Amino acid sequence: MDLIQRRVRRFESIVSLCLLGGIVLIGLGVFVKQFDYEMSQFGMDVISTENSTVNEEISLTSLSSSSFETLLETEVYDSETLYEKINGKAPFYTESGFRELVTQRFVSKSDEKLWAELYVYDMGSVRNAYSVYSRQKRPDGSVIPEMKFAYLGGNSLFAAHGQYYIEFVGSTKSKELSEAMQEITRKFSTENIVADVEIEQMQLFGKEDLVAGSIKLYLNDAFGFDGLDDVFTGQYKIGDDIVTVFLSERPSSADAKKVVQQYHKFLLDNGGVDISASDAEIKIVDFYGTIEIVGTTRQYIFGIHEAENRQAAEQLAEKFSKRLNEK
Amino acid sequence: MNHAGENNLDRREFLARTGKAGLSIAAAGSLSYLLYDTAGSLKKADNLVTLPDYSVGSISGQTMSVVKGSDRAASVNKAIGLLGGIERFVKPGETIMIKPNIAFATPASLGATSNPGLVAEIVRLCYKAKAKQVYVADNPINDPANCFRLSGIGGAASEAGAKIILPKPNYFSNTTLAGGKLINNWPVFFEPLRKADKLIGVSTIKDHLRSKASMTMKNWYGLLGGRRNIFHQNINTIIAELAMLIKPTLVVLDGTEVMVTNGPTGGSVADLKRENTLIASCDMVAADSFGCSFLGLEPKDLPYLGKAEKAGAGTTDYNKLKPIFDTTS
Repeated sequence: MDLIQRRVRRFESIVSLCLLGGIVLIGLGVFVKQFDYEMSQFGMDVISTENSTVNEEISLTSLSSSSFETLLETEVYDSETLYEKINGKAPFYTESGFRELVTQRFVSKSDEKLWAELYVYDMGSVRNAYSVYSRQKRPDGSVIPEMKFAYLGGNSLFAAHGQYYIEFVGSTKSKELSEAMQEITRKFSTENIVADVEIEQMQLFGKEDLVAGSIKLYLNDAFGFDGLDDVFTGQYKIGDDIVTVFLSERPSSADAKKVVQQYHKFLLDNGGVDISASDAEIKIVDFYGTIEIVGTTRQYIFGIHEAENRQAAEQLAEKFSKRLNEK
Repeated sequence: MNHAGENNLDRREFLARTGKAGLSIAAAGSLSYLLYDTAGSLKKADNLVTLPDYSVGSISGQTMSVVKGSDRAASVNKAIGLLGGIERFVKPGETIMIKPNIAFATPASLGATSNPGLVAEIVRLCYKAKAKQVYVADNPINDPANCFRLSGIGGAASEAGAKIILPKPNYFSNTTLAGGKLINNWPVFFEPLRKADKLIGVSTIKDHLRSKASMTMKNWYGLLGGRRNIFHQNINTIIAELAMLIKPTLVVLDGTEVMVTNGPTGGSVADLKRENTLIASCDMVAADSFGCSFLGLEPKDLPYLGKAEKAGAGTTDYNKLKPIFDTTS
């Protein structure tokens, strides 16, 4: 009987321990989960400005020049916190491969009213960086010759350096500030060497009549159509007209044909009128008074977007088609 | 001990143990029930605040004014003068809250924030009308102290005699918009609103990637607390609800330099276009409906305008209000 009692008590002890262990695990789970809650259910905290871990690879504080020193702390933002810095502009970057933003302000040692903030966006790849750079390019900027993709725009400097998109925004238009921004940006480029990766498709744009610096890269949703991704556009001056050419390299000629058909249908579904010859492979659409042209050559889609002048558009489309065939 | 004796003991012991276990469970359950909060972590409804109505009585033909001029101080004096003068809006001894757009820690030259000179002039006008105190407040997107400082608004407003109120956690109180879908038990920057007799909004005209435009109605976004970025997914609804929630005394819409592209942050003076126009209005829907034309838009292009009009916050047909047009020259 002692043996039976001992066995019963041991069994009870084991069951009790298991139950207690289960309760402890539940308690631990609740404890852990309470730090991982959906903040949108709560409305208490003002927006946090705590920095996340500084990217060890980018140090902006070392970029001070002889006449400009750092002002305030370096700020770091990831895709979750980017809106805390640029608010409604955040999706423009997060939808283009954004990884991290590091910012640093610099101020003149002799005039505190002269200051600028450097924004370095790590976009993850050369193409992504070029895309956000090209799509925001201000007209009438002055090129910075020693940098491949860079220009000055009034009080600011904009550049694409490898996977980084750079904005340097000054407090005012000033020669001293502009020179300091260029010096600091050059220093950044020197300290952050990137592979000199060519974007091959840009070479497909003939230089003749091409408006310098006009090539843009749309990573997705080009012209409002979600089937058009990875699309380059460039502007050409044909007589008095500026005509926009577009180009996209697809995985295969079959895919190119399929996307063209879908884009053509998209234009017609949205009010465009097909004005191409019935058996034409290259489609021409009158889209509310402007001309859209789209066709394929091998694995490439090419076309003209929003042209005012049909003749100029067709002329350029034919020229482009020949060029792609020769490549 | 015989077998029957053991069973008696076990049964008694069993019943005793079961009884104790049952009591323990009942006690734990009762405690849980007492601690259970059906509303979750949200504040109780009886802690909600109600935002005052700061509007003044309407005067037909003096609801909206549009002034052309390159000098903001002169334009705002003229614009408010055409609506009856500052004395119509600010009474002696009153406390005024001015809510500019101080969202970003960027220089005034970029046009992403309200113009410091304009804010300072409105502060001065309020004191001219013998206001007791003028507060300037906002809950910026970037670090508040940096935003007030680097935008120039903090310095300019202080020099004009305003008191700056930076947001602190205990300055927020929850509110609910009756009939609202989004502003439901949500924190707002209530402390300066609580103190104020009148509320003046001062905003720029800006392109905005999400909402297409940022003007007087979007300016109230800076009164929201919490993780307000979640409302970006319903940007038109939240802007309309803000227009229903906030009933200001006056809004000033600065179209002297308009951010026509790359909004809301801009980044280059090349993003700005000089329009030399300033609007003062008691109807912010009307003000925004007029202001959007500088962005190449019509009221029908901004869904939040239609929503706000439908909710009774104002009219998109600003011509109905017989706006007064004038110049400073």
